[in-house]
Amino acid sequence: MRVAYFSPMPPESSGIADYSALLLPALRRHVDVTVVKRGAKRPPRGVDLAVYHIGNDPNAHGWILDALRRSPGLVVLHDFVLHHLVAGVTIARRDGHGYLDAMEREYGVVGRLLAHGVLDKRLPPLWESRPQDFPLTGEVLSLATGLVVHSHYVEEQVRAAGYSGPVTVVPHPAWPDPRPEPAAVAGEPLIGAFGNVNQSKRVPQLLEAFARLRRTHPGARLLLVGATSPGFDLERRLQRLGLDDEGILREGYVDEGRLWGLMAACDVHVSLRSPTMGETSGTAIRALVLGKPLVVSDVGWFSELPGDVALKVPVGEAESADLAAALGLLAERPDVRLAMGGAAQELARTTHDLDRVAELQAAAFERVAGGGAVDSAVLREVSDAAASVGVAPGSQEASEIARRLRDLQLGG
Amino acid sequence: MRIAVLRPQVPFARGGAEIVTDELVAELQSRGHEADLVSVPFKWYPGARVLTQAFLWRMLDLEEADGRTIDLVVATKFPSYVVRHREKRVWLIHQFRQAYELDGTELGQFGSSAEDRALRRQVQTLDRVALGEATRLFATSANVAGRLARSTGLEAEVLPHPPQALPYRTAPAEGFVLSASRLDLAKRIDLLLDAAALESGFDVVIVSDGPDRVRLEEVARARGLDGRVRFEGRVSPERLAELYATCTAVFYAPVDEDFGMGPYEAFLSGKPVITTTDAGGPLDIVHDRKTGLVVAPEPAEIGKAASWLREHAAEGEAFGRAGKALADEVTWDRAIARLLS
Repeated sequence: MRVAYFSPMPPESSGIADYSALLLPALRRHVDVTVVKRGAKRPPRGVDLAVYHIGNDPNAHGWILDALRRSPGLVVLHDFVLHHLVAGVTIARRDGHGYLDAMEREYGVVGRLLAHGVLDKRLPPLWESRPQDFPLTGEVLSLATGLVVHSHYVEEQVRAAGYSGPVTVVPHPAWPDPRPEPAAVAGEPLIGAFGNVNQSKRVPQLLEAFARLRRTHPGARLLLVGATSPGFDLERRLQRLGLDDEGILREGYVDEGRLWGLMAACDVHVSLRSPTMGETSGTAIRALVLGKPLVVSDVGWFSELPGDVALKVPVGEAESADLAAALGLLAERPDVRLAMGGAAQELARTTHDLDRVAELQAAAFERVAGGGAVDSAVLREVSDAAASVGVAPGSQEASEIARRLRDLQLGG
Repeated sequence: MRIAVLRPQVPFARGGAEIVTDELVAELQSRGHEADLVSVPFKWYPGARVLTQAFLWRMLDLEEADGRTIDLVVATKFPSYVVRHREKRVWLIHQFRQAYELDGTELGQFGSSAEDRALRRQVQTLDRVALGEATRLFATSANVAGRLARSTGLEAEVLPHPPQALPYRTAPAEGFVLSASRLDLAKRIDLLLDAAALESGFDVVIVSDGPDRVRLEEVARARGLDGRVRFEGRVSPERLAELYATCTAVFYAPVDEDFGMGPYEAFLSGKPVITTTDAGGPLDIVHDRKTGLVVAPEPAEIGKAASWLREHAAEGEAFGRAGKALADEVTWDRAIARLLS
């Protein structure tokens, strides 16, 4: 079976490019994959299925959405919230009407009015202020002949949004353990947070929690790795919390090798998020691979992590206090860190095993590409047989046959 | 109890599954149960027929028969376990292997078209749903249980069944290696013939029949084995027991076999088994240098194993005795007690 594969690919700086680079070799053991060149408008001729990797970043996925509009196919939905993507392919292309139409199509007149407010700069951009309230996923869902998602959370979201096609939950694959040399970074314990430094990664709450932890664990260090988002004043926050002199270790964007080394040096990994766009965290998966205990926000995909690998902190008023308690527990209990790390590695080896994930993904592709024909063949044969012995459409017997087919997920 | 044993039936074909299901019914009846065999013809081609034929089982109403409740059903191999019943026990002989480990091999069924690929996946979905409904799930061997776990994530208890009833006995070895497998490609009897051509220290007796018989006889002639290899075809139970009793060893080396009654029959006759590292189910009880010899699937290795057993009669007898101790544990009393528990 031939598959056309639309995805950002390295050297693009994108988590989904990394994801595809990891997955493709394993996927190719199951299906014949042609990676489509960036900017292509259509899948090559003769393929059985076009697969579109859609995420919220318009730079990485705008061209893929353009291609999906021309040739519907299976969508690997990496984020449920796509407002930023839609804004990127409309407003950023000087197509304000496209944005107005998209907002009206999904949210009615109120949506159109809000969109006008954004275009007129009377309202802050909704993709920054309230994306979770206006996910703008509808168009992509309407074009998807099937979906692959990474969490049950997103599965529930797309169903709630009215999507009725096939949805397969396929976990994010785990990288092979590169067994990195831990970077020379000290801390007792060393707590790491990787990714953009901003509000939605709950950095303010993390800093408050860490300041509390330092009162009882003065040797603790917090390693923040990633670019600071525009408008997020990290230095001022550190000063206010008395963390400007010590305790905080800061690195900006780092390459893959340095990333693994820094991650390996950490005793605890923190991966917080709110609001969630429905995404999976590649750095959290890396932490599992390295056998590191995780502290996560109790939202979306993160909530689905087993309790023995991650301490889950609810988002809300008590967030900083809960976070401090979680960090305190892990700081005081190396045995708990060890047990959680072991469970994390086991999870990476099993649920997130690369070959397993590739097999699940290939299965989803195959079902979507040929499933309709199989369903039709089954229905045709069963209905012919039923009709030949006098079972009339709409009769009780026909309903019973249909029910039993549904039991077995046969016939669509 | 009123028990229905479920068996798909390929018309005109008879093999291990037919033997074990017939015996299960008889053994249940002999223990006072009201047991009967429910059989539905099975055809797995062309196209989606594998699914529609499986669906026939779903349309059966086996909750009761003739106004009386059927307490329990025992489904065996694909697709009998698609049936609905409140007390569905599955004693899995095998799944539809073309949708799993045989896919992409010469024994596979599904091509590379999108429809064929989807069809294969639909069989897998059917298995997950239907086997997931079982109130108890047993597999005849660790090999079958392992395949099930890998393909569906479902865990089955390993429950082997006894081999066919024969007048088993043990007698002094007469220097030949016995093959009693059905004569088809998957049983790899060529390996034994090629081994005999390489090693002159043993003769070969081949019983049973099958679609590969003419070719195997030609192979034997081409290897210059006239006089050392004897094809006896189908034999009576008494003759088969006699051959088991008097052989030096039994050769049994199919590829990735589900279960394999051959080793049990050999062991009940006190004889060691020669098998291969890739044989699958037989490896549950053929343990290298304990109950037989497990070698690479190469004629030279099999030849050496056969010669060694002929030259080391005491060790061969000890392997056979150890095997008999294992086989004696596999009884209908025990199997039925677990199946109905």
